[in-house]
Amino acid sequence: MTNGTPAHGVIEMANVSRWYDSVVAVNDVSFALEPGITGLLGPNGAGKSTILHMLAGFLKPSSGTVQIGGAPVWRNHQQLYRATGLVPEREAVYPFMTGHEFVLFNAKLYGLPDPEAAARRALSLVGMEYAEKRKLGGYSKGMKQRIKVASAIVHDPQVLLLDEPFNGTDPRQRLEMMDLLRQMAAEGRTIVFSSHILDEVERLAEQVLVIVAGRLAASGDFRAIRLLMTDRPHVFTVVSSDNRKYAQALVADPTVVAVEFTEEALTVRTAQYLGFTRLAPRIAREHQITLRELVPTDESLESVFSYLVNR
Amino acid sequence: MNRVIFTLTLRELTRQRRSLLLVLLAAVPVVLAIIYQLGDRTDQQDWVANVLLKAVVVTLVLPLTCLVLGTSALGSEIDDGTIVYLLTKPIPRVSIVSAKFTAAAFTSATLVVVAAAVSGAIGIAGTPSQGLVPAFTLAVALASLAYTALFLLLSVVTSRALLIGLGYVFVWEGLLTNLFPATSYLSIREYCLAIADSITTMSPDIFSSEIGAAAALPLLATVTVVALYLATRRLETLELSESE
Repeated sequence: MTNGTPAHGVIEMANVSRWYDSVVAVNDVSFALEPGITGLLGPNGAGKSTILHMLAGFLKPSSGTVQIGGAPVWRNHQQLYRATGLVPEREAVYPFMTGHEFVLFNAKLYGLPDPEAAARRALSLVGMEYAEKRKLGGYSKGMKQRIKVASAIVHDPQVLLLDEPFNGTDPRQRLEMMDLLRQMAAEGRTIVFSSHILDEVERLAEQVLVIVAGRLAASGDFRAIRLLMTDRPHVFTVVSSDNRKYAQALVADPTVVAVEFTEEALTVRTAQYLGFTRLAPRIAREHQITLRELVPTDESLESVFSYLVNR
Repeated sequence: MNRVIFTLTLRELTRQRRSLLLVLLAAVPVVLAIIYQLGDRTDQQDWVANVLLKAVVVTLVLPLTCLVLGTSALGSEIDDGTIVYLLTKPIPRVSIVSAKFTAAAFTSATLVVVAAAVSGAIGIAGTPSQGLVPAFTLAVALASLAYTALFLLLSVVTSRALLIGLGYVFVWEGLLTNLFPATSYLSIREYCLAIADSITTMSPDIFSSEIGAAAALPLLATVTVVALYLATRRLETLELSESE
């Protein structure tokens, strides 16, 4: 994967922005993706779905270009959808169809030579044969997710786009779907999925695009991004028996970036999360100070993302 | 036209509660005709032409049936998001629109043709028909194509298709065309009446239309073709987004 200057890839976004009236949903995003699994990570409302919808040909970029397999995506339905499958986030399916009818219906619309065999294969891949004769209206959220995946892979696409695919799935279903996606990626397919759950992306994605407030905040190997997230400044609220003395002792340590002092508490900024949790009690002990409270603040995923944007 | 989408649309249109309501709506003129036949049957030709077929079938049953089915054929899938499963396929958009239109027009035409033919036959029994029933039956069948195409277009253009469609039927066609006869040239109802008028041998003193069939037929065809063309164009550039 490359970012910044667009390079050749199966999926390419070059300087893409998308706005709705005066609201900018995606702001000058560029990346190129090769075969493998890429996670589109970001908080809710960050612009992940907008990016996926532009990749899927459902939204026209306000500026920039989106290409899959070297061909433009927008208004190129016939070429795009022969090689691309999409799993939408919305749960909506045809409630009057059975699972088998739904997958077969999709296979027929793809114009496959043997739609019945393709439907059987897709149902088997997602492990939904047991419920194929039941109406979709009676499916659970997780079952709907899996039948949607079956309908999106029934034509064996080279590119698979999934919008929050693990929503509503139980842990076992999640593992099975992750295995399926890993297997598809190992066979040379390009898979992009969006998620706001760090753990899902960590477990599945080889590459990550972190989207925050419509911008590409970070991209590349997940471990490198994880390191960025871990090494960012962390904020702790500390209460001790002698806040003034404790502040003086803490600020002398090189890992402590800043200490704000009030009579009630200290706000300590440190570059090392784990290191500080070991350092703080040790320094307190050395200076015979009683440590009453040591609480990390602002550890939400949103704050992690906003750090990545602003670093 | 895509046969898979045609079959899907027929299933969608006929499975819901609204299809039962539309059957009941189509039965209204039939019931009225039976009640009329049980009464004293004064001015029978006039009543069948102007009340039963013109006021009830053409002004009420025909547009409402087409409105409900025309706006549902594509509009309900756009609303609930299932349109994604059609749009992510390597199918020309014109095939989607034509399959949706054919299914909706077929269902609408079946209902209104049966309503016109059965109620007209019952209502006119016992007096010379003068081609009134076949004339209206053919006219509503043709008009159902234009109405369905127009309402299908509305459903692709706006999420308020039903409301705007009701405005067109009751305000434009029901009110303005009566107040300003020149607007009859922009009324599918008037095209329908003109076609019926050109076929029946009924005296103009009893039944006549504002415009001639020579204008009505091309106008009807134009509305149908232009509406379907615009719906296809609109579907080609339709943007879908999901709230994150």
